[in-house]
Amino acid sequence: MASATRHIFKRLFSNTARSATPEGAAYPFSKTALTPPAPKAAETEVERLRQGKRLMEFVHKTLSPPEKQALLQKYFSRRSKDVLQPGSIVTVLQDQAPTQFTGVLIAIRRRGQATSFRLRNILQRTGVEMQFFANSPSLKEIKVVRPPPKGRMRRAKLFYLRDAPDKMSALAGGRK
Amino acid sequence: MLRTWVIVRCKTVPVVCQARLLHTSLPARSSAEEATTSTTPETQGEPKKWTPKSTRTGLIAVKRGMTSMWNDQGVKFPVTILQVADCQVTKNIKVPKPDHTVYHAVQVAAVNKPAKAVTRQMLGHFKKANISPKRYVKEFPVTSDAHLPVGTTLSAIHFVPGQYVDCVATSIGKGFQGTMKKWGFGGLAASHGVSVSHRSAGSTGQHQDPGRVFPGKKMAGHMGGNQVTVQNLAVVRVDTSLNLIYVRGAVPGVDDAPVYVRDAKKIMAQGKAYAAKGRTDKILPKGVDDLPFPAGTEELAKTLPSIIEAPAYRRSPFVPPE
Repeated sequence: MASATRHIFKRLFSNTARSATPEGAAYPFSKTALTPPAPKAAETEVERLRQGKRLMEFVHKTLSPPEKQALLQKYFSRRSKDVLQPGSIVTVLQDQAPTQFTGVLIAIRRRGQATSFRLRNILQRTGVEMQFFANSPSLKEIKVVRPPPKGRMRRAKLFYLRDAPDKMSALAGGRK
Repeated sequence: MLRTWVIVRCKTVPVVCQARLLHTSLPARSSAEEATTSTTPETQGEPKKWTPKSTRTGLIAVKRGMTSMWNDQGVKFPVTILQVADCQVTKNIKVPKPDHTVYHAVQVAAVNKPAKAVTRQMLGHFKKANISPKRYVKEFPVTSDAHLPVGTTLSAIHFVPGQYVDCVATSIGKGFQGTMKKWGFGGLAASHGVSVSHRSAGSTGQHQDPGRVFPGKKMAGHMGGNQVTVQNLAVVRVDTSLNLIYVRGAVPGVDDAPVYVRDAKKIMAQGKAYAAKGRTDKILPKGVDDLPFPAGTEELAKTLPSIIEAPAYRRSPFVPPE
């Protein structure tokens, strides 16, 4: 378990220069290959998976580490109590630049492991939108700064804010 | 002349059959011998090593679907998941050619099929190889050192993350399609008097000279459903517990269709040229030190880690260059 955590941390916080993992010696065909831990599957399930039955479902569930699964579940599952709502002000903390980005959540694109969301902000009189992928290893944390006004917006996608700077500033300032 | 040459090469072929033989194969060994799929050093000398002049066999995988992955640099990329399903060697082919060279190939079969759905001829063929009947059979040209014992089960470990592969599959059938979709024709204007031919091909030739339409003229017709080779796809990850090969990019065909995967010819040829010049660092792609030779078998897979992934071998695109 410690080695598994070590692997995950190595992948999350690594940059360009990588060193071979300790298990690199066990794979003679590539010194720099990574050997992440194998996802657990029941013995009976493995036989069926090897025949391709419900394989993609299993791959989608286990390809990302459990911390990412928990993050997806917490912020993007519709039934979760901390689910992100369009119109809320959200801060994202990242590994790569920009390390911190705050903005209005204008869209959530739910696609399983490729789920992403868009934040919009006005920085130095320039509208800036950023799309963040929930499963990206460089995405460290999502913080909800303020929920949407009156609990919810009447749209799932707030692309109209691109043409309505007054509404943007109202959202940023406080209640609409 | 040719017959005596064949006698010299293949010791156990009966004399009666030589005149009619088109393919010669290694004698089918007993099942006890075939159980030990890799040749033991005592019988074959040194364990075989990959050389830049060798060509390994490919294998038959099944396209299971696509997903997206992130590498250690945080870059997102699409992957196609190919599953190696019951892939076994059925035959070693050695055919002498008129110019006195020998064509070597390894015949591989994959995906078990119920015996009652298999023709009697194929049942006999599989029985000779001592394996269960399969759905797909394909031959991969190899060099003479890359032959495998008949019955060897190939595994996803055959490919090394970081290497490049060619994927051959039947593309998705599109049915009868017009010239705009099939050939990328521009069609005609949407208005300005164009009558009833907005998507048509337009003219098909000149006038009295030549006075005919040239054969091969691009026209509407059946599209898709033919063999397509996608070259130089990077192998990103290999999972031997489920026999999966993760390949970066898209592969032709529908899900659960067979894909014939082999080492990328152009990359291997490049490596061969570098080897001839003495550039040992460029024989194999970056990060790949060696290739399982003659093939990656189930036995080899058991001795190695179950998931192997290739890191990014380029500078991070998120870090600005100095």
